[in-house]
Amino acid sequence: MKKGYALVVGLALLGLSSASALAEGATRPGPKAGCIELKSVAETEESYRDEQGQQVVRRVPAAKVVPGTQVIWTLSATNICATAADNVFIDNPVPGHMTLIADSVRGLGADISYSIDGKQFAEPEQLHVTEADGTTRQPRADEYTHVRWAFRNSIGPGQLAAASFRAIVR
Amino acid sequence: MKSRLQVGFLLAALSLAPAAHAVGALAGAQIQNTAQVNYIVGGSPATTNSNTVSLTVNEILDVVATLQSGDVPVAPGATNQVVVMRVTNTGNGSETFRLVLNSVLPGDDFDPTPSSPAIYFDSDGNGVVSAGDTPYVAGTNDPTLAPDAFVRLLVLNNIGAALANGARGFTRLTAESLTGIGNPGTVFNGQGTGGTDAVVGTTGADSFAVGTYLVSDISVTANKTAVVTDTFGGSRPLPGATIAYQIIVTATGSGTATSSVFSDAIPANTTYVPASLRLNGNAMTDAADADAGQFLTTPARVSVNLGNLTQAAGPQTIRFSVLIN
Repeated sequence: MKKGYALVVGLALLGLSSASALAEGATRPGPKAGCIELKSVAETEESYRDEQGQQVVRRVPAAKVVPGTQVIWTLSATNICATAADNVFIDNPVPGHMTLIADSVRGLGADISYSIDGKQFAEPEQLHVTEADGTTRQPRADEYTHVRWAFRNSIGPGQLAAASFRAIVR
Repeated sequence: MKSRLQVGFLLAALSLAPAAHAVGALAGAQIQNTAQVNYIVGGSPATTNSNTVSLTVNEILDVVATLQSGDVPVAPGATNQVVVMRVTNTGNGSETFRLVLNSVLPGDDFDPTPSSPAIYFDSDGNGVVSAGDTPYVAGTNDPTLAPDAFVRLLVLNNIGAALANGARGFTRLTAESLTGIGNPGTVFNGQGTGGTDAVVGTTGADSFAVGTYLVSDISVTANKTAVVTDTFGGSRPLPGATIAYQIIVTATGSGTATSSVFSDAIPANTTYVPASLRLNGNAMTDAADADAGQFLTTPARVSVNLGNLTQAAGPQTIRFSVLIN
């Protein structure tokens, strides 16, 4: 008898939780979508002289650029839900008209990988470009199309994970 | 529509560089970035896009003028002596350039006098003023060049009468961006392509090239004769008759006529007789190869590279034949 009650209660709980999931899905674009807010910021570096006459570099928001301008792209992922987010990875296509600067990709606690087609992501040593004559070589910086940051740890509620890269306007 | 018309003009009148833009992102282009984050919350995979950041590519103003001629050998008193220059838009937007000529320069032995007109567009790219080449008039037909496009220009000067052999005279062509010039980084707000800002590039948005006239007491003359042989053993210019041409090129004076090239058009209604080209009696192939001569089409002509001609080298005899159609 005791077992039977437990079973009923269990079913009722299951029913409740699925009902609440449906209700949430109906009010949002996808189940749990939007738990991480991703913000992209473009900046350039500007050097100026401070009051002591020292050359100082500061970052300023980028809006207009010219060929040769180096842009620092910063991505910040914030968990705005009450539940931890697991297996978090950020993909960023290298913006059009831009060339990724080799060794400029940063991301604390993230495994960084690259792609030359947007499909296969790997470390640079494992990516190969096949030349017309059949020989293979490692990609040049201007051949990277995407960067991926795979965060090793979960992002807890209210926590933030950051990633950045630099690219030059062609 | 306006830009299309300009492109049409460029194609007709100016030499265009290949379509590839060495300059990179064109003025007015938008650089957009949207990142994506993938994650699992409560067992459900989810994806969120970032905001889209949009950057506008400003116009960079850059130009390069280059000299296309070596030292131009000139005789004292010669008029309309040509130096070939090239002006290339190395910026990333369509830009119009003002051209300025100055032949009063330090460091040379004499000042050439600019002809009137002094600058021509070398529309057929042959390096000499020909019928279709239009004179440049500042403010009227300042060349508008697409990114990476260039225009070939002929700079004409007259040479003074009493000049010593070996004297040098400089002539300088400057191209300036009509939007403005200045120190690299100077910004002209809203004056770039498509309402972007125009920013002066590393060239300062102006560039010059200096050509040199070298007084060389040498004159080159060519004397052409023709012998007709018809198919009946006579010398009437009938269809099927052969015309054998002989041209004797003679250099007179103490200087050197450098990089001399003899070129002669095949007359209308005649056809070049293959492999008939001779230089000083030596046969030459019709192809462009190791020997000095070649036959070219459109327009049909023969060309012989005579190199550096001096009086000491003696007369150069060129022969070729054509068939009357």
